[in-house]
Amino acid sequence: MIDNVIHAALVMTTPVLLAALGGLINRVGGLVNIGLDSMMLAGALIGLMLASITGSWAGALLGAAMIGAVLGLLMSLAVTRLQANEIIVGLGFNIAVAGLVRFFIKTVYESSGTLALPDVARLPRIDIPYVADIPLLGAILSGHDPLTWAAWLMVPVTAWFLSSTRAGLRLRATGAAPQAARALGLNPLTIRDASTVFAGLMAGLAGAYLSIGVVGIFNEGITAGRGFIALAAFYFGRNRPWLTALGALIFGFFDAFQIRLQGRGIPAELVQTLPYLMVIVVLTLMALAVRSARSKGA
Amino acid sequence: MSDTTAIPGNSMQMRWKGATEVIAPLALALAVAAVLLLLAGHNPVEVYRLLAIESLGSVKRVAATLAAATPLILTGLATAIAFRAGAFNVGVEGCVFVGGLAAAYVGFTYIGLPSVFLISLAVLASVIAGALWMLVPGVLKARLNVDEVVTTLMLNFVAISLTAYLVNGPLLAPGSANSATPMVAETARLPRLLPPSTLNLGFIIAVLLLVLYWLWDKRTALGFETRIAGLNSRFATSSGIDVPMLIIKMMLLSGAIGGLAGGIHALGTVGRFVSGFSPGYGFTGIAVALLGRGSAVGIFLAAILFGALATSGATIQLFSDVPIEIVSILQGMVMIFAVARFGWIFTKRRGAR
Repeated sequence: MIDNVIHAALVMTTPVLLAALGGLINRVGGLVNIGLDSMMLAGALIGLMLASITGSWAGALLGAAMIGAVLGLLMSLAVTRLQANEIIVGLGFNIAVAGLVRFFIKTVYESSGTLALPDVARLPRIDIPYVADIPLLGAILSGHDPLTWAAWLMVPVTAWFLSSTRAGLRLRATGAAPQAARALGLNPLTIRDASTVFAGLMAGLAGAYLSIGVVGIFNEGITAGRGFIALAAFYFGRNRPWLTALGALIFGFFDAFQIRLQGRGIPAELVQTLPYLMVIVVLTLMALAVRSARSKGA
Repeated sequence: MSDTTAIPGNSMQMRWKGATEVIAPLALALAVAAVLLLLAGHNPVEVYRLLAIESLGSVKRVAATLAAATPLILTGLATAIAFRAGAFNVGVEGCVFVGGLAAAYVGFTYIGLPSVFLISLAVLASVIAGALWMLVPGVLKARLNVDEVVTTLMLNFVAISLTAYLVNGPLLAPGSANSATPMVAETARLPRLLPPSTLNLGFIIAVLLLVLYWLWDKRTALGFETRIAGLNSRFATSSGIDVPMLIIKMMLLSGAIGGLAGGIHALGTVGRFVSGFSPGYGFTGIAVALLGRGSAVGIFLAAILFGALATSGATIQLFSDVPIEIVSILQGMVMIFAVARFGWIFTKRRGAR
C-alpha cells in the first residue's frame, strides 16, 4: 500500500518537476512563464503522435521537446522583441494552443478531445534487481522510467548551473539587472529567449511524460493544469532548485493521495486546492519576513 | 467624446494611432486564423462571412450575440478597473465562479421572497462573494507587496475546485447525478428582454455599469486618482493619494463586478450553478479589457466581438465542419497581439529594456 503511494507520487511528481525546473530557469532569466501549460499540452500531443508513428519513445521525447521549445521561442520573441506583457502572452498562449490542439485533432483525426493511437511506444521502466525487493527503497528507486531519472538528475545540475557556471551567472545577471548585463556586453534579450526556449523544452518533455509515460493516450485535459502547478512549485521554491523539487514532490503526493482519498470522506476537490493555497501562504510568509527584516534594520 | 484620451493630444494622427492599435491585433489574429483554416481545407472568407451572418444577421442572432457578450462586458470591466489602478488582477475567473454559486444558492434557498427582493438579494450575494474573493490578494498586494498576478491566478484554481466540491457534495441537487445545484426559483430568474433568446436584464445592468464606469473615470476625483495611481504610483503617493488603500478598494470593486458577472450568468442564463460554470469568461475578460484599451466604449465593442465569435462559432459548427476551436484560437491570438508593440518595425528603435 505505502509502496504504491510512493510510486504513484513519484510518477505524478515527474511532469511537475520537469516543467518547474524549466520555469525556474526562465524566471531567473527574468520571465515568468504562465504559458507552461500550453507547451505541456503540445508536447503531450506531439509525443503521442511520434511514439505511434516512429515507434520510438526517444524520438517521441525529442519531438515533444522540440515543439515545446518552438512555442517557448515564439512566446519569448513576443515578450522580448514586441515588448508584450509576459502574463497576457502566457495566458493567450494557453487559450490559443488549447484551441489549436483541439482544432488539429478534429481536422486530422476527426476526433473530439481524446486521441488513442496504435502501437504507441511507451516509456520503458527501469527495474533495478535486488533493490526492487527492498520495501520503501524499492518503490523509491526501482520501476521508474528514464525521464523520471532525468528529471531528478536535473535538480543538482540546475543548482550547479546557476551557482557555478559562467552561463548561470550571466542568466542571473540578466534577470536581476538587465541594464548591468547589457553594460557588460551581454544581450539580455537573447539570454532571456534562450531561457524561455529551455522552459518550453522541459514543459514539452513533461507533456510527453503524461501521454506516453503515464496514460498512453492523449486527452485535451491531460495536463489538468499541471503547468500552473509547476508555476506554483517554483514560486514555492523561490527559484531554488532543491526547494522547487520539494514543492513538486509535495504536490505529487497530493496528486497521488487525492485519487486514493476519493470515497474515504476527504473530497478530492479540496485536496486539489492545496498546492495553490500553499503558494499564497509561502508568498505571504516571505513578504512578512522581508517586512520584519526591514523594520529591524531601520 | 473620443475614447483616445489616454493618449495625450487629440490630433488626427493620435486618433489614427488609437484606431490602429485596436484594429491591428484583430486583423493579425484573423489573418493567422485564415492561414489555419486554409491549411485545414476551409475557405476563410466563407467562414468569416458565416460567422458575421450567424452573429449579426437577424434580430434573433443579434440577441444571442448580446446575451453572449453580457458576462464579457462585466469581466472586461472588472479587469479594466483593476488594471487602471495598477493592479494586475487575473483572478476575475474565480470571482465568476464564487459569485455564480452565491447567487444560485440564494436563488434556490429563499424561494418564499417576492421576486424583486429575491433577485436583489441573489445579485447582492454574488457581488459580496466576488469582492470578498479579492480581499486577500488586494490586501496582500497593498500592504505586503505580494505579487497579485500569482495570488489571483492561484485563487482561480482554488475557486474552481472549491465550488466543484460544494456542488458535488453539500449543495448537490437531490437526485441529481451531475454536479449541479437545484434550479433557482422562477422568481429569481432575471426577466428576459427578447424571448425566446436568453438575452436578459443582465445586459442592461452591464451597460449601465459601463456608463457609470465612463462617468467615474472622466468625472470623479476617485477615477482621476485611480488613473494617476495606475500610471505612476510614486507620483500619486507624493500627491497625497493613499495608493495602498486605493488598490484594496479597486481590487474589491473588480472582484464585486466579477462576482456580478457570475451572478447574472447564473440567474439570467443557466438558472443554477453547475461545475464548469464559466467557459473562461474571466480570461476572455482580460482580452476584452486589453482590446478595448480600458475605455468604456472599447470594452463594449470588444465584448460584442467576442460574444459574436462565441455564439456564431457554436452555430457554424452545426452547418459546416469548421471546428468551433477557431474561436479560442482567435481569442488567444487577439490577447497576444493586443499587448505586442509592432512600432519598432517602423521606427527601428530599441526599447528601454
